[in-house]
Amino acid sequence: MAGAGAGTGRAVPPDTNAMSKDVSDRGSSAGAAGESGRVGRWIARLFRATAGFSGLSSDAPASSGWPWAAKWRVTSFGIFLGLAVTVVWAVTGAHYFWPGWIWFALALPLAFQGAIRRALRTNGRRALAMHAAVSLVVALAGIVIWLLSGHGYFWPIWPFLGLAIALAGHAWLVPMLPNNREQALRERVAVLTRTRRGALDVQAAEMQRLERDLHDGAQARLVSLGMSLGMADELLDIDPAEARRLLVDARIAAGDALADLRALVRGIHPPVLADRGLNGAIQALVLAVPIPVEATIDLPEARLALPVESAAYFAVAEALTNVVKHSEASTAWIQVHLADGKLSIVVGDDGIGGADPEQGTGLRGIERRLAAFDGTLRVSSPPGGPTLVTMEVPCEPSSQKTSPS
Amino acid sequence: MRAVIAEDLALLRDGLVRLLTAHDFDVVEAVEDGPSVLGALIGHRPDVAVIDVRLPPTFTNEGLLAAIEARRQVPGLPILVLSQYVEPLYARELLSDGAGGVGYLLKDRVMDVGQFVGAVRQVAAGGTVMDPEVVSRLLAKRVRDEPLGRLTTREREVLALMAEGRSNAAVASNMVVSEKAISKHIANIFVKLDLAPSDDDNRRVMAVLAYLNS
Ligand SMILES: Nc1ncnc2c1ncn2[C@@H]1O[C@H](COP(=O)(O)OP(=O)(O)OP(=O)(O)O)[C@@H](O)[C@H]1O
Ligand SMILES: [Mg+2]
Repeated sequence: MAGAGAGTGRAVPPDTNAMSKDVSDRGSSAGAAGESGRVGRWIARLFRATAGFSGLSSDAPASSGWPWAAKWRVTSFGIFLGLAVTVVWAVTGAHYFWPGWIWFALALPLAFQGAIRRALRTNGRRALAMHAAVSLVVALAGIVIWLLSGHGYFWPIWPFLGLAIALAGHAWLVPMLPNNREQALRERVAVLTRTRRGALDVQAAEMQRLERDLHDGAQARLVSLGMSLGMADELLDIDPAEARRLLVDARIAAGDALADLRALVRGIHPPVLADRGLNGAIQALVLAVPIPVEATIDLPEARLALPVESAAYFAVAEALTNVVKHSEASTAWIQVHLADGKLSIVVGDDGIGGADPEQGTGLRGIERRLAAFDGTLRVSSPPGGPTLVTMEVPCEPSSQKTSPS
Repeated sequence: MRAVIAEDLALLRDGLVRLLTAHDFDVVEAVEDGPSVLGALIGHRPDVAVIDVRLPPTFTNEGLLAAIEARRQVPGLPILVLSQYVEPLYARELLSDGAGGVGYLLKDRVMDVGQFVGAVRQVAAGGTVMDPEVVSRLLAKRVRDEPLGRLTTREREVLALMAEGRSNAAVASNMVVSEKAISKHIANIFVKLDLAPSDDDNRRVMAVLAYLNS
């Protein structure tokens, strides 16, 4: 019995299958096959009218790979068959209700299919859910057989017992098995979905900020520069002194535009990072911190993957900015090393502590940015300090060399 | 005065050549990539070189590295390093040999032709020129420093101008005060920062930069 249900939606007699195929390519087929196909379609139409009979039709298309229409045909053919034998039974004298067996045989695959589909929809322990569903259907089948065969001694109690023990054993074993692969994959997909969205959000916001900065900054300054030059051009012969003043204005505007662009570039991809890699770039960051920072950097000659390098750089920059802004520390330290395919960075200070990522956007931003690389951020900052910001990112050195020489 | 130029963008390279030639420099070679720089510097031993930090083939900081290497081989070889951006870390590396005759400026500074040519001459003469942006970032870093905190606002302004490499006279004209007043400020600064006094402009500049860089 269990064997019959194993193939989800496939528990259909082969001849039915063949017929539904015939029906689907109408026109080419003729005679008997075409005839029954027409009947099938008619019943299908009838069924559609009295909708809601089974979950089969409503969500069939995607879940089991069966074409929706074929399933309809198979189902309606089953019902047609059941009705037909019932009519035969009634006409031949309505004695012992033998069509019950036919109905039973027709319903069984449906029951299996429904139960298994349900089980597949559960999150987590799918194997157990499947086991329970199949057991339930088998148990119900037992009861039906018992009923149909003239309910004498209630023998199904024995298979029940067997099924129950097997299920209990399974349920008892499951928590002891190592976290199953499926569950792990499911969680992985959830993490990837979330971090991908996070990364895209961050990127979109960055783009918007860039656009705005360019628009209000460099672009506006270049417009003003152009205006100054145009006016200077007009005044050159009439009022050389004023023209000269406008030229000076133009030069100032050009300088300001350049400064804006430099700031922008620094925010996208700091040149020192491009030049020197993470090692040099962190040293450059440390140079700008007003308190003594002890930097221990242990990185290979080879450059790290560029996106990781960049995320790590901005993470360190934010952590150091926080030290300067919030910590009131007298010294800070930073440790960077790459081991076992993992880049770990600790930024610590001996300040007042109490850092809380929920209180701002900086630390949360780092967290999101690192998460895109399966990286993590941990903050340990008891009141009174010290504050430790620990970041870890899986990472392999890339083949690129640090610098030419 | 013989000059070597290293700049990869033709537009800027030609501009620099024209600008220096117009101011009586003799541009003996203008190279456009990293590997040629060191050869040109060592080969010509120019009176001054103007070198872009970022050059092909890697477009990172090979101009800077070539400059440092050239000055290692020929101590004090006057080099003015230009860049689209300035980085205090690089300033520190350029200054670390303590030999003078070195400059580090944003390319923007070329727009003020008079001042730029002045800076090139100053480097050629063994002076030190530092971009105001580097200086302001060095100063920003030292906001919490005890000794610097003792300086008056005026003295801090003088300090900044001095760190850029200006002579007493230049500082005085910039601040529109007499040279004598500036001398007094400088003396005060040196006392407050506990630096050894010196009459030589360039020595003072280097002392101040060394102090800010420490
Ligand atoms: N090193 C630190 N020492 C003490 N408190 C800290 C430290 N770093 C962060 N904090 C506290 O944690 C909060 C959150 O920091 P976060 O960087 O997320 O935001 P922020 O710095 O306030 O703002 P921004 O969004 O500009 O970074 C800060 O407001 C600050 O109170
Ligand atoms: Mg912050």
